[in-house]
Amino acid sequence: MGRICHLFLTKDHAFFLHNLLNGDGVQSIAQFRKESLFEDYRISSQNDDRIAFTIDLGLLHRALRSSVSVCGHVTTATNRLQGYKSAVIQDVPISKPLSRVDVVELQSAIDMAQDLPQTLVQGPDLHQLQSFVDRLKHVGELLHITITQYGDLHLQLLNTLTTLGVEFRKLPVVGVQAHVPTGDQNMTAQSRTKYAMEKGEALSVQLSLKHFAKSLQCHLTKPDSAFYGITPLASCLTVIFQFFIPGTRQTDKSISLHCRLPVLDPGSA
Amino acid sequence: MSSSEVEPDTLDLVCQLDNVQGMVDALSLVRWKRHQDSVLELSEHGIVVIVEESGCLQAKVYLKKELFVSYEYRAEGRPRFGVSLGVFVDCLNTFSVSGRSSSIEMCYPGPDMQLLLKSVDSTDACIYAEIRTRIPDTISWDYNFEPAGSTPLSFTVKSAALKEAIDDLEWPGSSIQIVLQPDPPSVQFRGEGHGDLQIDFMYYANTDLLIAFQCDRLVSYRYKYKFLRATTSNMPGSVIKDNRGSKLTIGRGGMLKVQHLVSVGRPTAQHPHIDSAAYQLPSRIAYIEFFVKPEVDEEPVNDA
Repeated sequence: MGRICHLFLTKDHAFFLHNLLNGDGVQSIAQFRKESLFEDYRISSQNDDRIAFTIDLGLLHRALRSSVSVCGHVTTATNRLQGYKSAVIQDVPISKPLSRVDVVELQSAIDMAQDLPQTLVQGPDLHQLQSFVDRLKHVGELLHITITQYGDLHLQLLNTLTTLGVEFRKLPVVGVQAHVPTGDQNMTAQSRTKYAMEKGEALSVQLSLKHFAKSLQCHLTKPDSAFYGITPLASCLTVIFQFFIPGTRQTDKSISLHCRLPVLDPGSA
Repeated sequence: MSSSEVEPDTLDLVCQLDNVQGMVDALSLVRWKRHQDSVLELSEHGIVVIVEESGCLQAKVYLKKELFVSYEYRAEGRPRFGVSLGVFVDCLNTFSVSGRSSSIEMCYPGPDMQLLLKSVDSTDACIYAEIRTRIPDTISWDYNFEPAGSTPLSFTVKSAALKEAIDDLEWPGSSIQIVLQPDPPSVQFRGEGHGDLQIDFMYYANTDLLIAFQCDRLVSYRYKYKFLRATTSNMPGSVIKDNRGSKLTIGRGGMLKVQHLVSVGRPTAQHPHIDSAAYQLPSRIAYIEFFVKPEVDEEPVNDA
């Protein structure tokens, strides 16, 4: 998403936040319950025990990776040296803590970002979608996305020379659902979308293909699935990544990751 | 966002293809520039894609109807229309998913005379494209290729070797002389510019590179390097992998014809032990022809 992000620590959660204060571009919000990251966690500040600062994710990642390898090493070394332990301390530079005003603004941006679309559809295989979107990049830059209440996800790219699109049907729906209209199996993707929009059973937005491709990079976090939805009034496209507790089919509620993609035009809704 | 639901009876052409990648390969071969116009000509025999530049270079891709799983042609005459080759290839490419063959349906004309493409693999995921067409320009010159004499002047060389030779000739640049001589039977590519470079294919010495050779007299013509380069610059990997040959023929007036073969068969990944060139049926090959006009400022040598 970008190298620099805000790390926002509260009594119970740690948030990694991209683009929440400066507005334009893809916003991403990763939230961890304190127990999922830390064994021991104490925080106190004069600002309701909340602290936020900016951090270079590249440096943090490097430090974490090297500590993983050091930990492995220490374990074997400890075994051999009968109880001797070593500690490696790495400092990752951070900015000055954000001012009280900025922290309040960050908190309200998080609160605002929590409003969920009424209808979410579970996206197709992320790798398949990404390979398709990579090819679309050669053709154009503006992407229309339509999501219907009966589980259609329709991506369409329009320019002066061509219209190119992909429609995924029968995706699982969460939230407000409608019945699949009968007899439209043989209709084209464009007709189905038009029909659903007319009946108020779909929302459509126009966004930057680059932003959409960027949000798909989140599959690097190895989510178990992704859900797509358009917020009421078609203000943004929300992508919610779902993580299961390893070895189960239960959602890991201690971790959450979602992206909000800005809409380039209020859409034809 | 009007629908592309059209009555099948009104369509000039409805055809299905099961190897999009092969078609992408064949069309990419004649895409020597990013933005390039092309003309598609439909007939009962198949589709011909024609690309032209500066009145000196023309390329044709022959997609015979045998390359298609189904080919229903209902037009009177031979419909011709122009499309942007770049857009056509980029759109086709979105249908091609690596690692599996993808089937598409192609129709013409749509409600606004578009060329319509859609995937037909799955009912739950559908890719579609509508490509704007235009009234084609008249072809500025007719590439009437005629034999230079009673004996054809031609040679067949491994496509990979031809590409390598032409790539190497970039260094001297600008103008390349091609010389065919019967004794000893050989072909010379000679570039003079920033420096001199001569590449010889000797028929008896390199029968694995120069596969066939026909020439009864010395001939020599010069061709612009950029046009010669266009004939091999976008050679798809499958041509090299299949170890194919390219045939070059010099016609009347020094017109050079370069012919390539590109496989449009189903991917043969499940038969890695079979030589794919031999395994492909001849009907699943797209023929590609380039016609290059010679430079005229020089007197041709010995063209009877």
